[in-house]
Amino acid sequence: MKDSLYLAWRYLRHHRAKTLLLVLSLSVFLGLPLVMRAMSRATQQSLLARAEATPLLLGKKGSSLDLVVEALYFQLKGAEPITEADVDAIHATGLALGIPIRTGLMARGFPLVGTSLDYFPFRRLRIAEGRGLAMIGDCILGAEAAKTLELGPGDTLLTSPSTLFDLAGVYPLKLQVVGVLEPTYGPDDKAVFVDVKTAWVAEGLGHGHQDLALAGPDVVLKRNEGTVTANAKLVQYNEITESNVDSFHFHGDPSGYPVSAAIVVPHDEKAGVLLRGRFVDAPTRQLVRPSQVVDSLNKQIFRFERVLQIVVWTVGLATAVMFVLVMVLSWRLRAEELRTMTRLGCSRWKAAQIMGSEIALMVGASVLIAGLFGIVMAQYGETWLQNLILRGS
Amino acid sequence: MLGYIRQPVISLRDVGFEYAKGGFSLDVPELTVPSGARAAAIGPSGSGKTTLLNLISGIERPRSGEVSTAGVRVDRLSPAARRSFRITTIGFVFQEFLLLEYLDVLDNILYPYRLHPELRLDASVRSRARRLASDLGLASLLNRRPSELSQGERQRIAIARALVTAPKLILADEPTGSLDPATKKQALDLLFEQCDARSTTLLMVTHDHGLLEQFAQIVDVEALGPTEA
Repeated sequence: MKDSLYLAWRYLRHHRAKTLLLVLSLSVFLGLPLVMRAMSRATQQSLLARAEATPLLLGKKGSSLDLVVEALYFQLKGAEPITEADVDAIHATGLALGIPIRTGLMARGFPLVGTSLDYFPFRRLRIAEGRGLAMIGDCILGAEAAKTLELGPGDTLLTSPSTLFDLAGVYPLKLQVVGVLEPTYGPDDKAVFVDVKTAWVAEGLGHGHQDLALAGPDVVLKRNEGTVTANAKLVQYNEITESNVDSFHFHGDPSGYPVSAAIVVPHDEKAGVLLRGRFVDAPTRQLVRPSQVVDSLNKQIFRFERVLQIVVWTVGLATAVMFVLVMVLSWRLRAEELRTMTRLGCSRWKAAQIMGSEIALMVGASVLIAGLFGIVMAQYGETWLQNLILRGS
Repeated sequence: MLGYIRQPVISLRDVGFEYAKGGFSLDVPELTVPSGARAAAIGPSGSGKTTLLNLISGIERPRSGEVSTAGVRVDRLSPAARRSFRITTIGFVFQEFLLLEYLDVLDNILYPYRLHPELRLDASVRSRARRLASDLGLASLLNRRPSELSQGERQRIAIARALVTAPKLILADEPTGSLDPATKKQALDLLFEQCDARSTTLLMVTHDHGLLEQFAQIVDVEALGPTEA
């Protein structure tokens, strides 16, 4: 057997290009269906797990999938917002806890998520480094965001401008990184968490500037009773610090400010049923069960996966036929070699063993490559596929 | 023909052979080649020279008669036993060399050892193969591929491959047919020298009557029996 393997190895090594092509084709044939299936299952389970951990979700009436994708996975879909008053109303029912979720802005490529302190114990998020949110302007980084941005407590992080070329638009806000979360291997790892008020400031709904009472005449255009009008020389703060935090304020009633959605955590099952009943006929709001929405998404994925598997198996079959054809043609081309073997006294069994060893080596290498591919995909594929599905949904 | 007192390595008696498809038959009333002899098989194309080698080596089985090679009745052996006998007892040199391009020179020489479990490839065999390669002027070419070598060098590899198992008999089927005269002489000298040094019997098919002086025994295949059925 050792000799057969040796001869097979030398033959395959000599015909590197052909061998490589066959091995790669076989790897795809062997690996793709398994990897697709495993990834799809893992993704479905992962999506469902997060959805099932979120009892109810309140949002503007419209696509429930967009709402879930935005509030649970922080993928920017631009669902119509509700208001802080809706979150307060949930609290006021005494039936549930309302956790606001405000998404829409980014910070160096990671979604900025405005929420309340209740979010962290609700998701069982633990601080790995630093501390929790204490004042507006603070931010906590998910594990992957911290690792990618190479930031930790004590560092600062600028929000990304929403309109790069609009000089009159909202300027980036410099956030103080006060903590880093332990990894959860979910969307929370790739988020930058701030208090919802900080998110509003970052959006330009709140702001801080120098005290107008102390401002000189070169800044103040006019003073009326209770109203001071300043010109562009007024210093606007782009960072919230202990010394200027008191100058930050909101104009108007913050209860009318936007939140993308609210996670609703009923105190018990009955409370959940009651709340859902209240929103059945709500004209502009919807209260959805994320698990149902994701389940329906998973069914779509499953259907898509079945179609994809048929395609993959068809391609696989073609690959297998090609492999057999190449091997048969190769042996026909090697008829002289086989004849020499026979004339020298090699048995048919030995000749078959040598040819079999060539196939075994190629299949072995293909299984190895498919296995490595599977390991890599198991490591990164789920996230990749999740992003693909959520962004494409 | 000279009178030999040595034990014959090749002995055919009342052999009748014809291919299953018909169209060709060979009868050999009697043929003996003694041990250590150098014999040539001659005859026109289609006279059955290669068939004779195939009968002696057990590649073909006679319809009737006795074929004894190196003291073994090959006509009585099973196909598997004939193959086993062939690779352990006989060395072949072919006109087209039939070397493997994916193996280097040393591996080509050792090729028979990769084909049969009875031939054990160990350090002493490797050492013998290197010595043989050195004797045939191949020492510096051991890591080269056949395509990188000249025709003469390739034929020397084929000779080394035939000799490496220390066979009792070498069957050479027009081994110099594709060589130029100078290379042919060199290859034959080496083949004769190696066979003589090992007392190995040589039966060589040739069309070159100029070579016949160098053989102790000449077998005219055409004179043995009918060639057309």
